[in-house]
Amino acid sequence: MMQFLTVFKREMLESGRNFKWIWVPLVFILLGLSDPLSTYYLPQIIESVGGLPEGASFDIPTPPPHDVLMMSLAQFSQLGVLVISLMSMGLIASERKSGVAELVLVKPVKYSTYVSAKWTATSVLVLVSLFAGLLASWYYVNLLFGDISFLHLLATWFFYGLWLLFVISISVFMNSLFKVPGLVGFMTIVLVILTSIVTTVLNHILDWSPAKLSPYIRMMLSEGNISGDLWATALITIGISIALLAAAIYTFRTKEMA
Amino acid sequence: MAELFESVNWALIAPLIVIQLILQVVALIDWFRIERTNGPKIMWLFIILLLNMIGPILYFVIGRRQE
Repeated sequence: MMQFLTVFKREMLESGRNFKWIWVPLVFILLGLSDPLSTYYLPQIIESVGGLPEGASFDIPTPPPHDVLMMSLAQFSQLGVLVISLMSMGLIASERKSGVAELVLVKPVKYSTYVSAKWTATSVLVLVSLFAGLLASWYYVNLLFGDISFLHLLATWFFYGLWLLFVISISVFMNSLFKVPGLVGFMTIVLVILTSIVTTVLNHILDWSPAKLSPYIRMMLSEGNISGDLWATALITIGISIALLAAAIYTFRTKEMA
Repeated sequence: MAELFESVNWALIAPLIVIQLILQVVALIDWFRIERTNGPKIMWLFIILLLNMIGPILYFVIGRRQE
């Protein structure tokens, strides 16, 4: 436990020095803000850009509040996931490349401690950033479109956070397979996209695939209650993440380190 | 364009501008302190200064050496 805390603290210090604790939350806030704002000003934007024939008019219906929040989530799913995978691609891989990992593991630090502490440090950063981004989006949605209860926001944060933890687990797993950070980032993105594609193709079989967290969250927001499917999907996602972490630790053990 | 500027509620947009400024300043501070970047260092200065929003983010994600 003490070792875990030491590695964890070192990792936190490192992300502080890298300014990760400043820029990652800010990026998520930006992503969260952009959709409520641009949706709200869409009519003005279209008008000022022009190009419409004289007399042409079309009404853009104002979307319901939860749809706008979902737009922000979609934003996190694309650019947010991209930022996370690029940010975490050097997590372990670059330390193996530069030899820092060897220095750490020469001391009696277990592989499992090393990997899980790094995973936890990244997760805390990402969850805090996601919360900041969601809070910003929620505030603007409440201001411009209509009410969404704070409890729903918390539920959205919890369930969507699981998806991002899943992405981090994939990244850590890839970190154990490859030494080149760029390759790790690329493979992480490929695997996340693959998860989404497979889920879309086998939609009728894979009821509880991690990629279905978003649709279930949308259902929760519009209907107001948390469905059994959402819980099941959440459990499956947690399970897969833990399995990925275990696989990462296992590959580290068997593989020659650095 | 003038109409657009009047119709926009600047209190709503202000946080966006502030965040973008903070990102830019932090990126600049880091740029001054860091020894080497991926690619020519001076190039990143222009990217940070000239590309709004995306410039500082690109710098943090790609420009900093992963060490």
